[in-house]
Amino acid sequence: MIQAKQLVKTYGKGELELVVLKHLNLDIQKGEFVAIIGPSGAGKSTLLYQLSLLDNPTSGEVYLDNVRTSDLNQTQKTSFRLEKLGYVFQDYALLPDLTAIENTALPMLMQGMPRSAAFKKAHEALARIGIADKTGNLPGQLSGGQQQRVAIARGIAHHPAILFADEPTANLDSSNGRLVMAAFSELHRQGQTIVMVTHEEEYASHAHRVISLKDGEIVSDHKR
Amino acid sequence: MKRIALMRKELLNALRVGWFLAVRQVQRSGKGTTSLIIFIMVLTFLNLVVVSGLLVGLIAGSFQQFRESYSGEVIITAAPGRDYIENSPALISFLKSHPSVAALSPRYGVGGQILGTLTDNPKKNERPNRIAARVVGIDPVQEEALTRFSRFLKYGSNLQPDEEGYILIGANLIKKYSSFADANIPGLDLLNDIEVGNRVRLTLTTKEGGVIAKEFIVKGIVKSKVDEISTRMFVLDKELKRLIPANKEHVQEIAIKTNYEYAPSLVAQIKDFMGSYVARVQTTDEAIPSFLRDVETTFGILGNALSSIALVVASITVFIVVFINAVTKRKFIGIMKGIGISPLAIEVSYILQALFYGVSGSIIGLALTFGLLRPYFSAHPIDFPFSDGILVATPAGAGLRVAILLVVTLAAGYIPAKLIVRKNTLDSILGR
Repeated sequence: MIQAKQLVKTYGKGELELVVLKHLNLDIQKGEFVAIIGPSGAGKSTLLYQLSLLDNPTSGEVYLDNVRTSDLNQTQKTSFRLEKLGYVFQDYALLPDLTAIENTALPMLMQGMPRSAAFKKAHEALARIGIADKTGNLPGQLSGGQQQRVAIARGIAHHPAILFADEPTANLDSSNGRLVMAAFSELHRQGQTIVMVTHEEEYASHAHRVISLKDGEIVSDHKR
Repeated sequence: MKRIALMRKELLNALRVGWFLAVRQVQRSGKGTTSLIIFIMVLTFLNLVVVSGLLVGLIAGSFQQFRESYSGEVIITAAPGRDYIENSPALISFLKSHPSVAALSPRYGVGGQILGTLTDNPKKNERPNRIAARVVGIDPVQEEALTRFSRFLKYGSNLQPDEEGYILIGANLIKKYSSFADANIPGLDLLNDIEVGNRVRLTLTTKEGGVIAKEFIVKGIVKSKVDEISTRMFVLDKELKRLIPANKEHVQEIAIKTNYEYAPSLVAQIKDFMGSYVARVQTTDEAIPSFLRDVETTFGILGNALSSIALVVASITVFIVVFINAVTKRKFIGIMKGIGISPLAIEVSYILQALFYGVSGSIIGLALTFGLLRPYFSAHPIDFPFSDGILVATPAGAGLRVAILLVVTLAAGYIPAKLIVRKNTLDSILGR
């Protein structure tokens, strides 16, 4: 499902060059719930950005669903992200002018789905995450936990092949963090492939595979 | 073919999502900000239409007054070098029976002198209280129907068809009432001490050098911003006809009231009717001196130049508004790109927002222009020395300016949106 081969990511040039990912190899199968953990500066989020096509690696290859992503241009990458990938960001990243259901329906509208069908599926996704009663609320009218659950609903509503989550619990208190992780666990049980970055061991324990990064290298890769 | 169909689908999707986003962003943006932007667009539109409209209106107002106060829609005068309109009686009969002629005023006209002081002889180095001007013989009833002549009476009363021995004098011939009295123009001597009820002497000179003189009582003083009223003297047509030494049956001017759009056709018919008889037959527009046309053109260019500045200011305003809007939402633009929303859809949403401001401003501006300002300036013209300035705004001209404003708005909305959307997606999301 996801393959990274000799993945290198550097920032800056010359003496200021910083190597964040060092010839990293990775293979994630369909249906896996993978947590990428490590200390700050380990390269967790950078790895997630390369795998999820939000950034371009300096060298190496990323294969998603057997597609060599370096062959895709920006437009094709945008389209690929729309069709195949879902995202949950650390700070929820909901659009402030759209209600919960509009935020959730947006990717499906972009896919060309009729409005009524997109809103129906968005409602279903919000219901799956347990927040169906907040469909008409703007993000500013929701708590942090509620916003993150709406973000998860947006990430899964269009049934992406892979759901990427970057520190999804970082801005939440522990009770809301647990709710979000419960939602991920439930999605995983339903067969959703999930790649999550976290720095909290407690939340990583919900994943069935934990990859530890340090200084841009994989130092451990455990399946439970 | 398949690729074209795919592109079409992507384009329609981008438009659909762009619309979806734009509507919500406008709906949920601050009412104060939205109102302020629309207000700026309204002012811009008014600047585009009203500034040039008023500048052109100063001249157009004088044309309109010339038509309404003197010439009618068609004016017939003696051909250059001729004393009178040939075949006048037949022509007048033709015009009186013409179904499209609403009114006409045949006028006699001769050069004459008016002597204002009959009692005292001038001293050694004094000129007589006298001025030369054109004396026009009118039928008060016909003139009233054509120009509503009585409205020009500043003092006194109008001529009556059965009252002979009276004269109306243009205000610009009398020092006390002339607009130019304080101009101290070399060689310009106006009549002194002329009031309604005074007795004056009119002197006409024949071709052979003979003198015809008759005394009149000043019955009124007429004033208008049209020189043909303010610098002439008016007596009854039948009275002047008796004084004119020759060609008594022929008039010097015929002003005709008809439909403005019909005037060129009427001119052609009159020329046909005249055949070999000569006269100068013109629509009111043709009778306007070319230098005034040049002034109108110059004012139009000046107005457009000022409007262009307004347009640049408007485009910069929209650019800044959209740019700030896009910059402050750069993170969200990055997120949208991140979750797969096409850059085109995002750009469309900003373009539609800019168009919303442009269209709203234009609609309100059009309503103000045609519902308030144009009627207002029509009812309360700007008091300009040589004309009553009106607001010239035509639907076609305003439509053109709406189109220009929308094109500029579209560009001013698109460019900043494009600048922000093209930023690196991850950098936008992370705010770096």
